[in-house]
Amino acid sequence: MARLSGLQREVLSLYRQCLRHIRQKPEESRGNFKRFARAEFQKNLSVSKKDFSTIEYLLRRGRRQLETYASPGIRSIH
Amino acid sequence: MFRSAIVRSLRASAPRVIKTPAPFQIRSSPVAVRKQFAPCFAAQGVRFYSAPAGLNKTEVEGRIINLLKNFDKVSDASKLNGTSHFANDLGLDSLDTVEVVMAIEEEFSIEIPDKEADQIHSVEKAVEYILAQPDAH
Repeated sequence: MARLSGLQREVLSLYRQCLRHIRQKPEESRGNFKRFARAEFQKNLSVSKKDFSTIEYLLRRGRRQLETYASPGIRSIH
Repeated sequence: MFRSAIVRSLRASAPRVIKTPAPFQIRSSPVAVRKQFAPCFAAQGVRFYSAPAGLNKTEVEGRIINLLKNFDKVSDASKLNGTSHFANDLGLDSLDTVEVVMAIEEEFSIEIPDKEADQIHSVEKAVEYILAQPDAH
């Protein structure tokens, strides 16, 4: 794989964080969370890797979203 | 010179200190009771720990390949071997790679920091990394 830019690594790091948080969720809903996280990333697959401001915005939004969904009160997602 | 003499005398006296009877020795208990408990003490005194079980290369490789076999996004399972590259051979994208690395983490119950995880792009690299981890099992 080509060397990743800093921003690309940040995106992957966010995805990794998502997966780590999913491990805290109840076992039966982990699949749903995983699919959801994956879909959220895939929605913006078309964003050019040079479109820094958009990616930065999406990263910020993703982090906030992760914070929300990471709360232990949320046990499943559909 | 003076100091070394002191050290020597301390060393000489040290074993004598250790030899003094332990203060918690049972003196007044009846013989029968002591006999009853003796084996118990002996068993507690010696603990056997197994030697740290090192992982060998073939085992690590086998476990990683098995894990990839169960990963539904692998496009061409026939290309799966000890040297396959996640993106070039198995058709995984960068997010899939992250998932695979996380699965490897879980399999060997370790945590791979982001920096190292970004470097793992092939089965070979993963095996190499796991073998370098002393607490992977």
